[in-house]
Amino acid sequence: MRILSKRNVLTYAVALLLILSLNFILPRLMPGDPLAAIYGREALVQMSPQLQAELVQRFSLDQALWQQLGSYFAALFHGDLGYSYYYNAPVFDVILGRLPWTLLLVGLSLILSTALGVVLGIESGWRRGTRTDRSMLAGLMALNGFPDFFVGIVLLLVFGVILGVLPLAGAMTPYSGLSGGALVLDVLKHLALPLASLTLAHLAGGYLLTRNTMITVLKEPYMLTARAKGLSQRLLKYRHAGRNSMLPVITMTGIWLGRVVTGTLFIEIVFSYPGLGYLTYEALLFRDYAIIQGVLLLVAVFVLAANFLVDLSYAKLDPRVSYAR
Amino acid sequence: MHVDLKKEVTRSSAGRFGIAAFALIVLLAIFAPLLAGYDPIGQSAHSFLAPSWSHLLGTNHVGQDIWSQLVYGARTSLLVGISVALLSTLLGAVVGTSAALIGGTYDSIVMRIVDALIVIPIIIVLILVAAYLRPSMWTIILLLSLLGWQGGARIVRAQALSLKEEMHVAAARSFGAGTLYLMYRHIVPDLSPILLVDFIYSMRRAVFMEAGLAFIGIADPNVVSWGVMMREALEYSYLNVWAWWLLPAGIALSLLIVSVTFIGHSAEPVMDPRLGGEASA
Repeated sequence: MRILSKRNVLTYAVALLLILSLNFILPRLMPGDPLAAIYGREALVQMSPQLQAELVQRFSLDQALWQQLGSYFAALFHGDLGYSYYYNAPVFDVILGRLPWTLLLVGLSLILSTALGVVLGIESGWRRGTRTDRSMLAGLMALNGFPDFFVGIVLLLVFGVILGVLPLAGAMTPYSGLSGGALVLDVLKHLALPLASLTLAHLAGGYLLTRNTMITVLKEPYMLTARAKGLSQRLLKYRHAGRNSMLPVITMTGIWLGRVVTGTLFIEIVFSYPGLGYLTYEALLFRDYAIIQGVLLLVAVFVLAANFLVDLSYAKLDPRVSYAR
Repeated sequence: MHVDLKKEVTRSSAGRFGIAAFALIVLLAIFAPLLAGYDPIGQSAHSFLAPSWSHLLGTNHVGQDIWSQLVYGARTSLLVGISVALLSTLLGAVVGTSAALIGGTYDSIVMRIVDALIVIPIIIVLILVAAYLRPSMWTIILLLSLLGWQGGARIVRAQALSLKEEMHVAAARSFGAGTLYLMYRHIVPDLSPILLVDFIYSMRRAVFMEAGLAFIGIADPNVVSWGVMMREALEYSYLNVWAWWLLPAGIALSLLIVSVTFIGHSAEPVMDPRLGGEASA
């Protein structure tokens, strides 16, 4: 256990250091005035001289590099991720405002795609080698190959453009003044397409993993025993084989949890869904560097935290893990 | 480690489909100048023309021939995919084998960096760097390679560690063979099936990333890319042009990625022969 955590803590430290140095060094490597390099020329035009002076002072931009580094860390320590010129607000607040949408989208799709993937994997593995199994395998593997943004585009074309039954963009109807049940319905309507795309795009992972484990599990002696006891088909399939095939999927879901933003980036962009992914895209369009840096740092922290939790729960669930590593 | 990759891949129908589809796209890319008929970035006609015999897939918003763009787009995807796969597999092989052979402090430092790179959200790093650099195609290739070798390095290292214990390697070592000699004479040849699978998956990731980055606007403006085509076409989704503009680009990209996925999946038993035909469809 001690070896495991020491190694991981080191890994996390290196990862964080890489990102921090990227955020710190990259803009300062660019030629010209440091303020312009950090915030971009487009940003400077819109900033008031007072704000510029304040930023120079806060991040010691007129000082030597090592003093800038000190100020940078001091600011980070206070949760100050910089200032977004485009949204005219602190980066941290902007990100916090977008986070709920991403969490909603990712949380639901994670649950849906895992549940669906596991059930399909169990059914497919149970029927291994049959026609049903082989067509499911080929179909889901093909689906796995489709880039997620194209899956999103196809759904958008079919349901949004051709059928016109679902909204094309956004997370709710702007200025509609809806409340209560109507508001929930409106949000769900906007959520449907991005959620479906994301679920479809990630279905194959859980399915393939469950199917593979299922095939191995079905060969275990305890399956023969269970069968000999005369248990029903359904019990055999789900209680005995299915349950044991789920462990690797749980790990995968945990790892997925850490890829919240990177996983939804393209889907959010296709549907202009106002989460962190779309925020990153807007920041790229308007060259609002501070936002991209903030997202990178926060996402990294999130990923590391998720990884840490997976490691912890793994060692708890299966005591052998802490010895094996 | 003596498994025939070609036999392995062509044994399954998914593998054969993958090879066929991939070959089709390679042919498209090679004979692009013959097939295209127009300069893919030059204006060849009025904008938003519907498909006709002179413009098979019509023209886009600035009057470029969409079929020619589609054909030349195959070149970009393949060029980026293959270059990144070559570079990152090479990097992964060098880092992985050297870590396994040298061991000690070098090994632990290198592997911590590998682990760190695995948990870092690469796509956001790419967006940040691209926002500053406004990269050309070769910069994108370089960036994707520099940020894409870590997974391969880990697998290669694990395999090289077990190879190191094999009799013939131990024998060579006892005759005084140096690390470099061992690496290219004994370890790397035995690693080749694994490197090939690593290559295939690196290519898949690179093709996807290039298109994805282009789709969000990070692309070389002088190069035709399926991702750029999809980005531009999506802006006109309210017109009926998506049928011959957006869909062909998306389908071509998907076909390429699916074919590489199928090849990779059917080649996987090479990595672990015990799986046998288990994974194949």
